[in-house]
Amino acid sequence: MFALGRLVVIGFVVLSIIYVVLSFYSRGVRRRKLREQWDQEGMTGDRDAWVEEGLQDYDGSLRRKLLLGVYVVPTLLVALIIYLTNFA
Amino acid sequence: MIYVRWAVFVLFWLFIGAFLHYTLPQHDVARVVDTFEQRIDFGENSLFWASPNSGNADLVVNRDVLFIQTVRSNDRPMVYRNEDTGWGWPPYFKFDTKNLQTEAADLKSSKEDPQWVVIRHYGWRNEFMSIFPNAVSIRAVEGPDVRIIPWLNIIILTVLAALVWAIWVRWRRFRQARIDPVLEDVSDSFEAAGDSLAERRGRIQRWLDTWRKK
Repeated sequence: MFALGRLVVIGFVVLSIIYVVLSFYSRGVRRRKLREQWDQEGMTGDRDAWVEEGLQDYDGSLRRKLLLGVYVVPTLLVALIIYLTNFA
Repeated sequence: MIYVRWAVFVLFWLFIGAFLHYTLPQHDVARVVDTFEQRIDFGENSLFWASPNSGNADLVVNRDVLFIQTVRSNDRPMVYRNEDTGWGWPPYFKFDTKNLQTEAADLKSSKEDPQWVVIRHYGWRNEFMSIFPNAVSIRAVEGPDVRIIPWLNIIILTVLAALVWAIWVRWRRFRQARIDPVLEDVSDSFEAAGDSLAERRGRIQRWLDTWRKK
């Protein structure tokens, strides 16, 4: 079971790095899109405050939670491969 | 310098290509001649052997390994090893080594009455290093000229290429937006610093010159 432990630990570390990088990137993209929307629609007032509000909406959104797929998808993939290799 | 760059470039892609060629699954059409088990003392080729059966003791220097002897459809012999990959690399998560050996033994056939099989495997056969491809699965087929479409490899390579491209494009955009301007800034200020240094040296030189005899 030592080998499984090694896979789980290394996998968790690698996926966590991917998750953190991806979530920063995704937030950056969201911020850019909000700014573009502000400029295109010619809104007036405090742009930064409006963008921050939009980002807070994003933090609670389903889209944000979909990033957890970084952990879910590889786990399901491993389960599928184990089934197909050994039991199918 | 251009040669060094080309050499590094070629070596890098050769390494990537070799890695993928070793790791990705391939299919051979063959007929199983026999199966055997042999004790292997791992030497300098230990990198090309997988792990002991999952759950057994790790860190051993020798152990018994199962082999499958076949003759391929081009009449050339091929010997596969049959080992668990367990939870390690490459990620085939193969635990059913003994079952696979049983299936292979079940599909044994003679030259006169051949039972053709498709063997899914990864790895290389190299006589000089005594390394063998690792069989992953085996299934019976009608004849030796069965058509195999490597769907999994198509999917994996496509996804890999898309991923590399996506990261590469974003990295290039990031570099153009953030790093190149900074580098230009730095080289500009270096030039400016060089200019002002030259100017100052000129002033000191002139001052020194006033002390020299004309």
